[in-house]
Amino acid sequence: MVRERRHSRRGRPSPTRQVEAITQPLHQIPVYELLDASALDKIHQVSMEILSEVGILFMDDPESLAILREHGVRVEGELAFFTPTQIEHYVTMAPSEFTQLARNPARSLVIGGKHMCFAPVYGPPFVADRERGRRLGTLQDFRDFVKLAYLSPYIHHSGGVIVEPTDLPTPTRHLDMLYSHIKYSDKPFMGSVMSAGNAADSVKMVEIMFGSEAIRQQPALISLINISSPRRLDDRMLSALKVYARARQAVIITPFILSGAMGPAAIAGTLAQQNAEALAGIAFAQMIEPGTPVVYGSFQTNVDLQSGSPVFGSPESQLALYVSAQLARRYHLPFRSGGMFASAKIPDVQAGYESIMTMLPAVLARVNFVLHAAGWLDGGLTAGFEKFVLDCEVLGAFHTLLRGIDMSENGFAMESIRSVPPGGHHLGTPHTLRNFRTAFYRSELFDYQPSEAWEADGAHDAYERAHERLQQLLASYEAPPLDPALDTELQAFVSRRKAEISG
Amino acid sequence: MSDEINIQELPIEELFELMQEDLYDGLADEVLEEVNEALARGLQPFEVLTQGLVAGMDIVGKDFRDGTLFVPEVLMAASSMKSGMTVLRPLLIETGAPKMGTAVIGTVKGDIHDIGQNLVSMMWEGAGFEVTNIGINNSVEDYMAAIEAHNPEILGLSALLTTTMPYMKTVIDALNEAGIRERLTVLVGGAPLSDAFAEEIGADAYCRDAAVAVDTAKKFMQIRNEAA
Repeated sequence: MVRERRHSRRGRPSPTRQVEAITQPLHQIPVYELLDASALDKIHQVSMEILSEVGILFMDDPESLAILREHGVRVEGELAFFTPTQIEHYVTMAPSEFTQLARNPARSLVIGGKHMCFAPVYGPPFVADRERGRRLGTLQDFRDFVKLAYLSPYIHHSGGVIVEPTDLPTPTRHLDMLYSHIKYSDKPFMGSVMSAGNAADSVKMVEIMFGSEAIRQQPALISLINISSPRRLDDRMLSALKVYARARQAVIITPFILSGAMGPAAIAGTLAQQNAEALAGIAFAQMIEPGTPVVYGSFQTNVDLQSGSPVFGSPESQLALYVSAQLARRYHLPFRSGGMFASAKIPDVQAGYESIMTMLPAVLARVNFVLHAAGWLDGGLTAGFEKFVLDCEVLGAFHTLLRGIDMSENGFAMESIRSVPPGGHHLGTPHTLRNFRTAFYRSELFDYQPSEAWEADGAHDAYERAHERLQQLLASYEAPPLDPALDTELQAFVSRRKAEISG
Repeated sequence: MSDEINIQELPIEELFELMQEDLYDGLADEVLEEVNEALARGLQPFEVLTQGLVAGMDIVGKDFRDGTLFVPEVLMAASSMKSGMTVLRPLLIETGAPKMGTAVIGTVKGDIHDIGQNLVSMMWEGAGFEVTNIGINNSVEDYMAAIEAHNPEILGLSALLTTTMPYMKTVIDALNEAGIRERLTVLVGGAPLSDAFAEEIGADAYCRDAAVAVDTAKKFMQIRNEAA
């Protein structure tokens, strides 16, 4: 009658997913290849024709033109013409995968290969939530999004300009954003690309964190260099690109194409143009610093040619996404695309459909770095708080999809199959009892209740439930520990730079 | 606090508390041991049932509704309850203890989907009901025979198919014709049903899930007992 005292499960906290519990997903399912090899080669050939005959503009930056000339590129005015041999020579120098450092080493991320990672929305000037509606973003909003990204086990990266903190002065707000990423999260983050000075500040801050030698071995920043399509790199992006490449920090070279306006009203042509633009930027980065980690980026959809507005989740953008991923793989480069894109203004049915229309292809195509994976609304003009929380639920489901099927003995569960009579049930077999918590992904926000129970609970829709969750998440947030000496040094740097910039 | 416990030395409140915890965790052997210990101390079987097992299952039901417990855990708790009942049931009859209630449940003719009703059976048993589960594909005659044999207060009718739902009304009409409808509480369940359907066919209530089936059965037993 004497037995060991044990602790009952009763009263244990309900099993919520912890930040620590889930790591960066590996793509363990087949990759969706939309085009066959000869069709893909055709796109490559046309993009070589664009590069060698039509050219890419390197705008308002004589130094960049000089670098191109030094490396044998034919330059006419500001137009650069690359030969296929030059492209191949320089693009091959880029690593096929690399690790981005996080201040918590357990959260460092592999970018490339079979690895995927999800990062928050980037760039919106507005934020929206159910209570306060749409308004200009502030530093407080920015910090709240950093906290939400930190709290979600399904967001692996803290991102960059999650929302523009419009309450701060433009010339110094990058410092507040960078510091907030470091202070309120321990996940990797993105550098500022607004100017060479901003890029240099970003590099300096990660040098303070990791040491200047360590970040040359493995980048601590990944930054978004957009190509201002069609066929144009501007001085702002070029100057940031040069700073990052010289510091061996990772850059994502992303043509920004809304087909019909910034690309032709045709998918194959858009892909050829995008490929030419991305490869030109990538080759240029390797001319500056061979081996600099780069990501082949794609931000592509089309305009609605009736109204001129961008369309998100269009079937054409899905087709293009699959092929863009194939192209990046062809050149052995990590790939960035995708996201939970929506034109919808609130997280409604439209937002859900639109978002999944791009996110599912992003998963099946194996996008290594998914920017805008949570929070995107309003064509990218608004960062939605509830949208962010809801998107994370779907990202969780994709983590399970990416693992594929468990083909082990436990995966077949023959003991369960043998033990249940015809027409019986598996709900109580030993196998089910061992596996029930992890066997199937369970959204914590989606409603699976019987209709009557849902009505009795107040008939809340997903938007309302997400709003409640949002309050709980922000209330539960605790900052990850930050070494006080490092914190002081970072704050001193920010103060000094603010004083210098404000003059 | 020592790392070992001797259940023979536990005060009675703590013994009941332990019984409830072990029931919650689905530990059938431990629950049985604690039931035997309580009886050995001279406690009435009815006390052990209500203060130990039923009280424990109440917590299980509540945590299931709140989403803390998963279906397999509830099943384990119910089956631990069942193992305690193997000892208690004959003693309850012997001592003439008041019954929590008697129920007959089965799926209607044409319907072989019984996973839901099996869960309801388990949960009713967990709440202390005496349950006879007559299985699948039952005709009016099957129900009549079971009512004759077990004299239940509660009759549960289950259907998953919209095509077999109307047979529930056939059963209830037959009860009316036989003049025994009034002495039975008829509860219906199954995914395509609704409160409106239950009312339309003359059932007492629709139970949307196993937890609600327990609450509803208890509520009707209370009404019956107060009326008696």
